[in-house]
Amino acid sequence: MSAALTLWNKHMRKTLTSPDETVGMLIQPILWVVLFGIGMGSLLGATTPGGEDFYITFMLPGIIALTALGGAIGGGTEWLNERIQGIVKEYLAAPIPRMSILLGNAFSAMTKSLLQAIVIMIVGVLIGAKLSANPLGWLGGLLLVAGYGLGFSGIAIAVASKTDSPGGYHMLIFMLNLPLLFLSNALYPLQTMPTWMEIAARINPTTYVVTGMRIMTFGPNNALGTVDTIPLWLCFLVVAVFLTLSMVLGYRAFKSSLK
Amino acid sequence: MNEKGSNGLAIETSGLVKRYNEEVLAVDGIDLAIEGNTIYSLLGPNGAGKTTMLAMLTTLLEPTEGSAKVCGLDVMQQANEVRNCIGVTFQETVLDDALTGRQALDFHGKLYNQSKAQRQAKIAELLALVELDEAADRKIKTYSGGMKRRLELIRGLMTEPDVLFLDEPTLGLDPQSRVRLGDYILDLKENQGLTLLLTTHYMDEAQLLSDKVGIIDHGKIVAEGTPAELIEQMGADVIHIEGQGENESFVEALEAMPFTEAISASDDMIQVGVDSGNRRLVEVISAAGEHGYRIEDVSVSKPSLGDVFLKYTGRQFRD
Repeated sequence: MSAALTLWNKHMRKTLTSPDETVGMLIQPILWVVLFGIGMGSLLGATTPGGEDFYITFMLPGIIALTALGGAIGGGTEWLNERIQGIVKEYLAAPIPRMSILLGNAFSAMTKSLLQAIVIMIVGVLIGAKLSANPLGWLGGLLLVAGYGLGFSGIAIAVASKTDSPGGYHMLIFMLNLPLLFLSNALYPLQTMPTWMEIAARINPTTYVVTGMRIMTFGPNNALGTVDTIPLWLCFLVVAVFLTLSMVLGYRAFKSSLK
Repeated sequence: MNEKGSNGLAIETSGLVKRYNEEVLAVDGIDLAIEGNTIYSLLGPNGAGKTTMLAMLTTLLEPTEGSAKVCGLDVMQQANEVRNCIGVTFQETVLDDALTGRQALDFHGKLYNQSKAQRQAKIAELLALVELDEAADRKIKTYSGGMKRRLELIRGLMTEPDVLFLDEPTLGLDPQSRVRLGDYILDLKENQGLTLLLTTHYMDEAQLLSDKVGIIDHGKIVAEGTPAELIEQMGADVIHIEGQGENESFVEALEAMPFTEAISASDDMIQVGVDSGNRRLVEVISAAGEHGYRIEDVSVSKPSLGDVFLKYTGRQFRD
């Protein structure tokens, strides 16, 4: 475990001491919230009184999930680079468990995603989003995001273990990334979707992390949220199952890449 | 301080084989017995199996067949114990260049669970050893090739290994840096009791540093011995002949001469060891004339490890 911590520390320090990376990490989700939130919010506000604030509250969980996805993708990129450059050999020649290499990567990606999630929540509140009054709900939401982000780290590491080119990696990841965002209830409620899309959204783990956050983090009185009748326990269950499966997948691909 | 097997060997392999994807035979049954506190050089053309050999000995790759022991420990059964007793410098530069030199060393020590005090003391000592103290807090991306090599060398020494593996440690360095790195390597053996296994393309370097040399080609050891022993096989002098024409009958004639040894021939070059170069030169040249081989250039020299290397591995390009 101490080896995983050492690796986590190295990844975190690399990001936090690089101004480009740190600024990019914070700016991107803020742009999403501000630009997309205000644009879509005004559209809704034109038809419904109070629609602006309401939409920002509605979309924040989706932006947080998307950001966690981006964090996991960044972790996969890091792993691919370390493989291509041979840096991984330093880890492999050291007396540390192989699993700690994967955990160090996944947990640092998750940590960055959680930092970003907190920034998004603060910015969201500043431009009118309504947070739940219960801080436990905030923690519950972050817990779901952490599980979801770690799960995608497993997938990103699996993909990055199977390819040797950054181009191939980003191509594959891109094909996963957008459907996961748009085929979910992150930006629009399930009720308004055509049936095929609703089915796709219901097998997408993004829907469950988003719904869970709407219930816990952004208050129960979230009109568009309450129409998606998914119980909270199911949100946790889906994220837990997703996390387990993708970690197994990631670890297998990771092990086979070391042969 | 040296941990060794019960037989006093720091590195020991028997029938070691590595096969990739069922087809490529990278290492084809190698037996090594390297004594503690010596320097052993593995020489071989590109693709001969040197790096694969090192990868197996440093526990990065699992052997397909055979067994290997480092510090008396089995590389498969006791991989973690082996990792604790060795240091490695890889052929390619394996440094995270977003870190500073000091951070890279500190991180390495942490991976091996060294305490903070241990790490700080060791880092200061090693940075001074290779004169990197002034650059220590700069990012590695600002380092020259020679500085990176030195940093990698001392990274391998952070954890006070008993056996150090160096894969092409001086590749791409200028002559000054090569000589200095060579000095450090000798010092490690003589004053710190290390056992070193290195691979190199530079024959002069191998000749100077090594207690023992193994020439590897097509995954097999084709010659092994001290540099002096290997060079002795070549005769007292070596005559190098370049020329054109059918060399087959000429080479046969040379082989028939009582004073020749270690003949190697390729399309446009023949190398032959003789008991005395100046005395035999005339006989060799006239034999060429008799057998219709047109000489374009001829030279006599004392044999070197390079001549031995060419004798065993030929002169074709390798990839």
